[in-house]
Amino acid sequence: MYRILVVDDAATVRMYHRKLLSDAGWHTEEALNGVEALECVHAQESDEAFDLYVVDVNMPRMDGYSFVRELRRLELRHQAPVVMVSTEAQRQDVDAALDAGANGYLVKPAQPLDLVLSAALLLGDREAARAATQGVRT
Amino acid sequence: MNQADLLDQFVIEARECLEAIGKRLLDVEQDPDNDELLNDLFRSVHTLKGNCGLFEFKPLERVVHAGEDLLDRVRHRTLAYSAALADALLEAMDYSAQLIEQIERHGRIEDGADAGSIAHASALRAFVCDSASASSAEALAALPVVAADPASGEDVTPSWMSRLDLAAFASKSGVLALRYLPEEGCFFKGEDPWRLARTVPGLLQLKVEGACAWPQGDERAAWDCYQCNLDIVLCTDAPRAEVEAHFRCVAEQVAWCDATVNVRTAAPPSDGAVSPLLRKRAAALWNDQCELLARAGHSAGTVRAARRALTNLLSCVEGAAASAASASLAELSEEVSASSLLTWARSNAPAAEAVVVATLSPDARMPDTDIAAVLPRIEDSPPAAPQKVLKVGQEKIDRLMELIGEMVVAKNSLPYLAQRAEEVFQQRELAREIKAQYAVINRIADDLQHAIMQVRMLPVGAVFQRFGRLIRDISRKLGKEVNLVVEGEDTEADKNVIESLADPLIHILRNSLDHGIELPAVRRAAGKAPAGTIRIVARQESDRVIIEIQDDGAGVNAARVRDKAVERGLIHADQAATLSDDDAVQLIFLPGFSTADQISDLSGRGVGMDVVRTAIERINGGVELTSVQGQGTTLRLSLPLSMAVTTVMVVESAGRQLGVPMDLIVETVRVPACDIHHFKQARTTVLRGRVVPLRALNDLLALDAAPIPNDAGELAVLVIRHDNESVGLLVDQFQGASDIILKPLEGVLAGLIGFAGTALMGDGGVLMVLNPKELLQ
Repeated sequence: MYRILVVDDAATVRMYHRKLLSDAGWHTEEALNGVEALECVHAQESDEAFDLYVVDVNMPRMDGYSFVRELRRLELRHQAPVVMVSTEAQRQDVDAALDAGANGYLVKPAQPLDLVLSAALLLGDREAARAATQGVRT
Repeated sequence: MNQADLLDQFVIEARECLEAIGKRLLDVEQDPDNDELLNDLFRSVHTLKGNCGLFEFKPLERVVHAGEDLLDRVRHRTLAYSAALADALLEAMDYSAQLIEQIERHGRIEDGADAGSIAHASALRAFVCDSASASSAEALAALPVVAADPASGEDVTPSWMSRLDLAAFASKSGVLALRYLPEEGCFFKGEDPWRLARTVPGLLQLKVEGACAWPQGDERAAWDCYQCNLDIVLCTDAPRAEVEAHFRCVAEQVAWCDATVNVRTAAPPSDGAVSPLLRKRAAALWNDQCELLARAGHSAGTVRAARRALTNLLSCVEGAAASAASASLAELSEEVSASSLLTWARSNAPAAEAVVVATLSPDARMPDTDIAAVLPRIEDSPPAAPQKVLKVGQEKIDRLMELIGEMVVAKNSLPYLAQRAEEVFQQRELAREIKAQYAVINRIADDLQHAIMQVRMLPVGAVFQRFGRLIRDISRKLGKEVNLVVEGEDTEADKNVIESLADPLIHILRNSLDHGIELPAVRRAAGKAPAGTIRIVARQESDRVIIEIQDDGAGVNAARVRDKAVERGLIHADQAATLSDDDAVQLIFLPGFSTADQISDLSGRGVGMDVVRTAIERINGGVELTSVQGQGTTLRLSLPLSMAVTTVMVVESAGRQLGVPMDLIVETVRVPACDIHHFKQARTTVLRGRVVPLRALNDLLALDAAPIPNDAGELAVLVIRHDNESVGLLVDQFQGASDIILKPLEGVLAGLIGFAGTALMGDGGVLMVLNPKELLQ
């Protein structure tokens, strides 16, 4: 099963993201900020590494950009993609995320379809990607 | 998605945010140059705004968003922090708290909140407009402040389009998609939305869902089943004019979208199985990886992550081209350089015909602000182990508390059982065993009760927190300068005690501000510092929590208190003259007393300290006042740690069992009848050299019976504390202490004077618990 780490300081947002992602059939875990997220990454056994990170930008202790930079510096066997989710919608916000090394960017509040589809594509979960787009909401 | 859970979570977090914001605003006011405080403040507002976006709480979001913009500028020093700005923010947050209350109660914000929210938002935005960066700010204020609605906005494709499986009609031309949202009252206009939708000419596909969530559980009863709750999307290949004619009566309820363009560009016939949306998003993400790789200075980890993303994207896109690309990607070396991978990615982009749209949805809210460049990078704070906290609803704890209360009472039946075993069934051995078991159960019950009380314990600081704001607001209003000093805010007490403390404390603080602390000029003249100080000190003394509120104001003027009390007919002039100053100041606790010459909107109209005293005594607490004229006043509140379990002394009088709260009892003595002195109606005795007035409990309860002495001719005297003096109550017999759960009197008995409440005893009987203070007045 694919494993996703949701990093956000807002409990409501964590709950929302985890619910959407676990409804799509993935295992989710959460961290409250960059520092905790890195701790989670370190705590993983190598064969159980996360397959995707869904990361907020503005967080206490360590923000999303710094987290991605730190993550990419780690000697991990699996460097998994990162989707940044932030309230800002300017081009420079996307640039800042890409500068840090993120693989995708979504504007908060992420529409369920956007989040699930992006996650499915970055996870390489073809079934979930198709399910997400094929009128599951009838 | 379980909306209710998410909403609960939202309300909880929103409250936390508001509380943090309120506190931080005051902190920032003390220390406006502290970046860390400002960032912290900003983040709380930011979190709240982000959470609002998950729901349709536009009035709330509007206000919070305005606050966020304002603080963002303050944080970057493009706008100076000022008291006026803090006022506006505090007011806006108060308003937000009201909205959150509505959300909690009704699950939504009531209609008509728009006006208030716009007023608060524009009050906040006014600060932005006044500032130097006015040009961008005006543009900002003019724009809608609510996050882009997915159904409108500049999206090429409205989000409702995704509900239709347009790929199935990719080969058709002239496909028209539309969304029909029948209005709620449409049934009363003779409309039949379902039939109207079903009979659309050239109908290809039709999908229906509820316009809003269907009611669950109890809400179903309140649901108006005659209102329409339909959200219909459909597509047709009939000419638009024909379809428009079909919907001519409800034209304003229909949104149109020409689906052909989207279908044609997004879904090439060769890849019919993959939906256009998926392809579009995959292409966008592919594009993101290219952009990512194009940036210089990436670590090996970034390249590996991008490669993984590319591999995964390919595996989701079907078709011959994708398979070939996958194969060639696999051939690249494990440690491929960013530039080689980029070259490969650019030449192998899937479905070149697919529209490449940035993942970013267009949003023109903030055209000129440079937010990305200035987002905070807070990474230096030392890592601390995250505190593991379990959040539990209060009613669950209350339920647990109730059960333990019942358990405490139930265990008390064991001694009765032991007694019966011994006396009625002559089973001494069994009685001893029951007693032994009772000791064990008693200990466990005590531990259990202690443990659950710990759960309910809150630091008193929780209630002090809001006083910063209160004192700030009131002192500004009165033109006084006041510093609040809080000590011992970690002292803990039961949640109920803490909660019932808030109102009396507010009353006391208002009094101190209004009557105690003088105006700066007066203080200077008296040789004091112009700013007054109010100290709130909390500490634990054995099983009581002591809270002292000290001010260094004018103190209570004993002479004026005497005059007022006489003037208001509360006390006779002769009596007043004999009172010492210390006793005279206590008169302010009398109902209807007020020395304020003018009725102020702060301390009210004479509902003064008696209200405080009543409220404190209701939770088994006490108030003492000491005042030195010209130097200040100290109010000392003594409160129980917990209100849940009370220990009472059970006494017998005129054949009745009655409980007396243990914390009032000084001692129990037996006094020989000959040592009781009679003066007219009054009786007294001398205990250790002190005269103690005696009152017969039977008289106080209007029971027509004389106290019964024991065989040795001694009378039982329960000495209790009353207004700092000892008073002896004559009873028939003492029966020992008992732990009880005190239930206040309810219904018609609620007005009964002299009783604190009732308790269930272990033998199933009901014990009336006295309130000696009321009884003796």
